[in-house]
Amino acid sequence: MDIFHNNPMLAGVRQMLGAFAKQQIRPIADQHDRDESMPWDLMKMAQGFGMTQTAVVDGRKALTGKDEEGDAAKPKSQARIGCAGSEELAYGCAGICLAIGGSGLAASPVARMGTEEQQQEFRRLLKGDDDHGHIKVAAMALSEPSTGSDISGLSTVARPDGDHFVINGHKQWITNGASASVYVVWANTDPSAGRAGVRGFIVARGTPGLVPGRKETKLGIRASETAQVHFEDCRVHKDMLLGGGATSEGLSDTKKMLDSTRPMVGAQAVGIARAAFDYLVERVQGGTMQGTPLAHHQRVAFELAEMEMEIQAARALVHKAAWMADHNMDNVRMASMAKAYGAKVAQDVTSRALTLLGEEALESGHPVEKWYRDAKIYDIFEGTGQIQRRIIARSIFGVNPT
Amino acid sequence: MDFALDDEQTLIAQTVRRFVDKDVRAWAADADRAGAAPPRLTAVAGDLGFFLDAVPEASGGMLDGPYSHLRRAVRGHELGRGCAGMAALLETNVEPALAVGRWGSAAAAEALFGSLSAGGLATTARDSRGTLDISRDADGLRVTGKLGPVPALGTARHVLLMARCGDEPVLALIDTAGGRRAPFVPSGWRAAAWGTLTLEAASVPAAMILARGPAAADATAEVLTWYKVSLAARAAGVAVSAMEHARKYADERVQFGRPIGHFESLIRLRDDADTGAAAVRLMALHAAWQADRVKDDSTRAAAHDAASRARVMAGDVVDRATVDAVQILGGYGFVNDYPVEKLMRDARAFAQLLGDERFDRILAVRAQQGA
Repeated sequence: MDIFHNNPMLAGVRQMLGAFAKQQIRPIADQHDRDESMPWDLMKMAQGFGMTQTAVVDGRKALTGKDEEGDAAKPKSQARIGCAGSEELAYGCAGICLAIGGSGLAASPVARMGTEEQQQEFRRLLKGDDDHGHIKVAAMALSEPSTGSDISGLSTVARPDGDHFVINGHKQWITNGASASVYVVWANTDPSAGRAGVRGFIVARGTPGLVPGRKETKLGIRASETAQVHFEDCRVHKDMLLGGGATSEGLSDTKKMLDSTRPMVGAQAVGIARAAFDYLVERVQGGTMQGTPLAHHQRVAFELAEMEMEIQAARALVHKAAWMADHNMDNVRMASMAKAYGAKVAQDVTSRALTLLGEEALESGHPVEKWYRDAKIYDIFEGTGQIQRRIIARSIFGVNPT
Repeated sequence: MDFALDDEQTLIAQTVRRFVDKDVRAWAADADRAGAAPPRLTAVAGDLGFFLDAVPEASGGMLDGPYSHLRRAVRGHELGRGCAGMAALLETNVEPALAVGRWGSAAAAEALFGSLSAGGLATTARDSRGTLDISRDADGLRVTGKLGPVPALGTARHVLLMARCGDEPVLALIDTAGGRRAPFVPSGWRAAAWGTLTLEAASVPAAMILARGPAAADATAEVLTWYKVSLAARAAGVAVSAMEHARKYADERVQFGRPIGHFESLIRLRDDADTGAAAVRLMALHAAWQADRVKDDSTRAAAHDAASRARVMAGDVVDRATVDAVQILGGYGFVNDYPVEKLMRDARAFAQLLGDERFDRILAVRAQQGA
């Protein structure tokens, strides 16, 4: 387990992205939270650090200079690197972390299921800048207004029509939904087959019938854009059906993909908790209560001790789940535990920090107030806390967890 | 024991509930976005007896006889169901008015009640960390430092200040004209006209000092009792509101072939929140009942302890209930088209205003121990 010794690769990622988070992300986090705006300039800068919009498709080469091990049976380190990096970026700002990594949600199924031609097309669609001079980003369009946790109930339909599919439906809570240059859209090609008929499509911005919708005003992660996307008789060539004509597990394959990404989501939650913890430690070290240093009060000191235990435990779960993914082990239970517990710890730590800080942290945009708002989404997206517990419970009883 | 509300309390609850359901809830989202209560609030609430209910009749108010904290808790619970920010604004005059009526000089009464009768507001601030620099100035005080942020300080003419001058507790009425006021944008209670007041060697005349020394410690304990009872009652109302919204959504939202409200995990979330809200309401009413019966050191301490316990529980319960309401609404709960994300932001002030209640309770015990 790499968290128990000084793995040079992970240490390097932590150091590089930790410095990036402190020096580049933190100073602009409050402004993008207030404006609910994407940090386009920073996203462009992040590309220089290897955080490209196609990094997931390209493997880890862009980030580390090394190609991923070709032998599928050999251990990799992508999930662990992803966790180490995600924690650092979210330590800076979870919303900006998601803005930088948002395209990865769409890139993952392309990397996992896409043909070589589709991966090339995905890369091509993300090359250069968009009409606003921003880097191009991608969006994964899965959730729908009536389909949140129960993704097998998708109502968006892709009807075959000659060499094309015609997509109709509405998508909700889509990261990068308003600005994306390319979408990976999930639609049912055969409603009579239920979830087995759900397949993914690569759809370029500007395709007639693809209508980016309203941007949402959110409680937190405001630097990450969330929007509706509408498909109205949107014709997509069959070549853009992920996996092509080959038999694919479609949505089930996507669910498996979540087993490797959930630890990263848990790692982001750990990053938020650590941010609040560090802020509180610094504040406590400089503060007094009625003339006595705050750190001398057990009420405060023991709260910090509890927080530190929770953060360390959450990080251990995250890295164990990632380590299992990198070693091709079945990590479905551990991945859900890492995600669910990370979310719980982020919420607990930020809430308790607010209580201890009292009136000074009531201001909108106070760092801990912001982290408290940001933390909540980690119990909702990428499978709610309830869904994670369902997976864990089913796994305990030997039932197919997904 | 009789847990039923009497006729007058029932009438208050029903009247305020109608006001909340018809007006306050309709205004709440816009007030949150605008960061200000609607102008109509003052007129409508004034007709219902808010703002002047703790001002003596002889001074232009509506208080004839002893003030009932029990009635205030009943209405506070209903107000909390509507909007925590507007509720804070509607309740802001009570502590200053009661304190000045009880311990204030004729000059303090004239200044405060004159302002309130003319439609002004007052608020309450506590220097919980001991960061204000307060020194004696002849019979008066000189105050340097920042008050707040607290609700209503963005517009209030007077602040009831609980602080210490060296080791001596003081309770004083501060005229905000003597300082530099700044607006404050809070996370929650955004309709409550928050602000801060920076004082630079501001002079507080002796006539504006309501109490000092042991008398101020007792008076401060009573003021905090009133404030905490009101906070707890309102917090219970916010928790109830969160679960009303969550229940409606959970009964309509279908996932995995049935309403999500039928899943045991969500039933438990709702049930825990309902249980907590009911407990906090009862604790607030009990503390209010005790506050109405303070007659000596013993009853004062009992009332303060009950209010403090209610406030600790209220902070925990309203935080949990609103976070769980967002959880039940899922993605919809996280966007501001639905009211629960506002409630989650509103919940925080109940635990953060006046400082950390658990810390207060520990310090109180240590004081009793002579530590």
